[in-house]
Amino acid sequence: MSLASSIKKARYRWLPDHVFGELLSKSWIDNAIPFTIMIIVVGVVGSLLPNFFTGSNIGILARQYGELALVVLAMTTVILVGGIDLSVGSNFALGNFLMLYFLNLADLPVGLAAGLVVLICGSVGLVNGVLIGYLRLRAFLTTLVTLIIVRAIVDLLLLEYAQDMSMSFYSSPLWDLMGLGNVSIFPFSFVILVIVAVIAHVIFSRSGPGWRLLAIGGSRRSAYNMGLPVKRIVCLAYVVSGMLVGMAGILYAARLSGAGTDTGLGLEVLVLTAAILGGNSLGGGRGSVTKAMMGAVTVLVLTNGVLRLGLNSGSGPMVLGLALLFAVFVDVRWMKNRHKLLNTVYVSPTLMEMPEPRTTDEGPFKVNDRLSKVDVIGLGDVESPEDVILDDEDYLYCGNRHGDIVRFTPPEYKTYEIYAHIGGAPLGMSFDKDGNLLVCVGGMGLYMVAKKDRAVTLVTDETNRSFFSIIDDSRLRLADDLDVAPDGKIYFSEATVRYEMHDWPVDALESRGNGRIVCYDPKTKKTRTVVRNLVFPNGVCTSHDGKSILFAESWGCRINRYWLEGPKKGTVEVLADKLPGYPDNINRASDGTYWVAIMGMRSPALDLALRMPDFRRRMARRMAADQWLFPNLNIGCVARFDDDGEIIESLWDRKAANHPMITSMREHKGWLYLGGITNNRIGRIRLEGQNNRWTGWSSYWGKKSGENA
Amino acid sequence: MISRIFDNLLGRGSAAVTVPPMDGALKPNNQLENLQPGIPAAQVDDIVEWKGEPLWSDGATLVSRSGVQAELPSVITALAALDDTLVVATLDDGLILLGGDYQRAEIAWATPITNVTAISVDQSGVILFCTGSQTNAPNEWRRDLMETNQSGMIGRANPKTGEVRILAKNLRYPSGIATTASGSIVYSEAWASHIVEMSADGSNAQIIFDEIPGYPGRLCRQENGTFWLSVFAPRNPLIEFVLREPAYRKAMLQEVAPEFWIAPHFYSGRYFNEPMQGGALKQMGILKPWAPTRSYGLVIELSSTFIPLRSFHSRTGGSRHGITSALQSGNTLWMACRGNGEILEMQLVEKGKAL
Repeated sequence: MSLASSIKKARYRWLPDHVFGELLSKSWIDNAIPFTIMIIVVGVVGSLLPNFFTGSNIGILARQYGELALVVLAMTTVILVGGIDLSVGSNFALGNFLMLYFLNLADLPVGLAAGLVVLICGSVGLVNGVLIGYLRLRAFLTTLVTLIIVRAIVDLLLLEYAQDMSMSFYSSPLWDLMGLGNVSIFPFSFVILVIVAVIAHVIFSRSGPGWRLLAIGGSRRSAYNMGLPVKRIVCLAYVVSGMLVGMAGILYAARLSGAGTDTGLGLEVLVLTAAILGGNSLGGGRGSVTKAMMGAVTVLVLTNGVLRLGLNSGSGPMVLGLALLFAVFVDVRWMKNRHKLLNTVYVSPTLMEMPEPRTTDEGPFKVNDRLSKVDVIGLGDVESPEDVILDDEDYLYCGNRHGDIVRFTPPEYKTYEIYAHIGGAPLGMSFDKDGNLLVCVGGMGLYMVAKKDRAVTLVTDETNRSFFSIIDDSRLRLADDLDVAPDGKIYFSEATVRYEMHDWPVDALESRGNGRIVCYDPKTKKTRTVVRNLVFPNGVCTSHDGKSILFAESWGCRINRYWLEGPKKGTVEVLADKLPGYPDNINRASDGTYWVAIMGMRSPALDLALRMPDFRRRMARRMAADQWLFPNLNIGCVARFDDDGEIIESLWDRKAANHPMITSMREHKGWLYLGGITNNRIGRIRLEGQNNRWTGWSSYWGKKSGENA
Repeated sequence: MISRIFDNLLGRGSAAVTVPPMDGALKPNNQLENLQPGIPAAQVDDIVEWKGEPLWSDGATLVSRSGVQAELPSVITALAALDDTLVVATLDDGLILLGGDYQRAEIAWATPITNVTAISVDQSGVILFCTGSQTNAPNEWRRDLMETNQSGMIGRANPKTGEVRILAKNLRYPSGIATTASGSIVYSEAWASHIVEMSADGSNAQIIFDEIPGYPGRLCRQENGTFWLSVFAPRNPLIEFVLREPAYRKAMLQEVAPEFWIAPHFYSGRYFNEPMQGGALKQMGILKPWAPTRSYGLVIELSSTFIPLRSFHSRTGGSRHGITSALQSGNTLWMACRGNGEILEMQLVEKGKAL
């Protein structure tokens, strides 16, 4: 048993299965299947053909690749915008013929000839584009018609000029370089391809026109509704396609210097196969240059391999057809199931052994009804006040789920105003030395509302990225609570890097160290992560002596201390553990102790489940999230503890009538104010025996004299 | 066999954790919740009409509207009226007969009858009884469910001769029994969430009402041929899931206090150590009535052909949960509400009229 359990422990410690879900959530994971196919095809063909990996063979392939991949890129451009271009084959033949005609019969220089060819092939694309983009004809039929017509034109021209052309032979250094020469060790066509591909990649992934093109491919109607020039962009995509095909035709002409009726015959199927096999979605909107390049490699190697293996004459098209079928199948199944798979595997629980909780039957956590008689503030007016805070003029501030900071007016707190609008979900709050309000905003980062003009400014929304993290954890997803150290540095917690604002309880199902403590230094304006791998860190509070910060690890049911100075500087130690519930915000109390909100209570059934990650994983996969076993967040309490971690007292409402969830509390002039993220009210209760003049702000920033000394 | 393995792997078929929806005649309402406060009866269990008035069991006592009638040495688990005799099942003494003055009549059964969950009497005066489980007494029904036992029995006991005959065995917690007008026997199998009809000798058993969204309990036939079915607890995907997780279930039975099991109950929400499901998180102070729950109040009227006609509910967050028995007397429906410890009275109106 002990061996089995230690194997289990080691397995959850060293096998990070959450990585799988994170990989799936990356957009580049779409490349995984085409990449694998490419590697397999190259490997198999390479091992079947004796001299496949020799330099000369690679050189020949790379030269062909340059031409083919340009056409694949043309096809990809059109597919991405949600269309298809079947005319690439005949357009290619047209480009090839015209190039040879201009050089051999019209005696034009290479550069001019090439420019003309690109323009003419582009105009074929323009015809397609006008018909499909502006006149809204079907892409498939339209380009099929262009395919036939252009092919017919090429055949007519060939009939007329083929004989003349075969008589003459054009030669120039540039032309020879294009056809046979290398730039350094790379064939000319390959170099051209790399340049075009890099430009295309930047356009598709980094530029406005590229994004708009993808948006149209993804949903033409939505793109139209949001005001994109759909017709023009669709038309342009066909023009670009035609021009790229023209370039390929030129390179082909340079390599073979021959025009025949079979030039570019069936090229459209080859290219379409390559584009889809690379992982570009036939429906449009999803795809990339990289995918087109991978697909082109696969198809080129495949067709060359079949040819050189000397299989029967029908086998080439057969292999191509099967590959296309397979690609379409993978495209459809992958698109359909990727999100389903992601949904079922993203939640990845880990092993968590919860210590026996402290008793609530007796001692400081003994259940009582001291909170049952709270005064209710702002009932129905504030929704989701996660944190509450008071300034030195007794104004009461809280956030709400509409993204506002609401301010209640003393002494009755009956009237309120929207103090500032930030957006997001304002969570933990704190005042700095100048009375500016610092707010952690879920989904946005750390913000500041200035005291003098209520201007909202971003303080920080990113930190240094962890080296081994797969998801980008530099952006702050769920900044949760903060406090300011005496030197002005702001320490704040990010509860989890794996879940957004509204899924935060799901993090309890994982109970992995997904959170961190982050520090922002206003002097250097730098943000850096100081402690990682914390289990839902929360409730940051600077200790009374200013030498350390206290924070809670909610799902770990413990309160920790992080030393800012002294001999233990930079280390974390556990201050109080085995709590009977999940600690949330921590704030100072007037007598040198601390308040902690217990936002929910542990249930033995969940504690047991935390020991069985596979149970939780199956639960997450098989049931709707509403049915999952959650921590009981419908009742909580407020507790007070001292610098030694000793729990002094607790305040409960047994029925949880007013405050089902308490996520925060502030002591202010003898009152305790309560906030809760699922509540629609703020509560306050008179404290017996606490200092009636103590305020939070003066405890931090007031003169160290008199009662706060 | 192979498909079973695949089902288990993928959570399909028999391994699916879906529960039947409440729709049609089972559409939720708040009729139980809206009733006036009833007669307090903390350990209420079964109701029977005897000597012309409702009589119910409350722990070990028998109570009527006029107060406590008798106190027995052990907790009562089922009741039935046999003319002037009251048939009572208790935890310790099994099936016993009480005379008109609640004096115990001597009767020696051929074989001991234990763990009785429901009793009925057929036209010939023979007692039909359900033994919920061989191993767990009726007050341990939650454990029996969590152990996924199938050891229930239906039997006939003749009070004149003491003869006992078992009609059906290996049932999944039979917990309600009645006879039909044609003399056949119907019983509810709680853990299977269905009702079975069989002929009086125990042959020809067939399921006549399936996919009940809860655990069906006692059945009570009216003179007009319809039945009142008490559904004492709801089915819940999380519980269904736990029932398919042997390792977790075993550990839970061993380590966790029964109150805090992931298991159905007569009531819920009393202790903060109870398990909570995601949908039951209160938002803006409100618990949604369709939130997942471990307890529910549900009484269903079934036609003589076992088609649901109407139902009365107490939904999530309500208090009238755990209806263990229902009895119609005239136009009044009497219900034993174990979850809230009270006897509820409801004035029935014809279907289609406003209540």
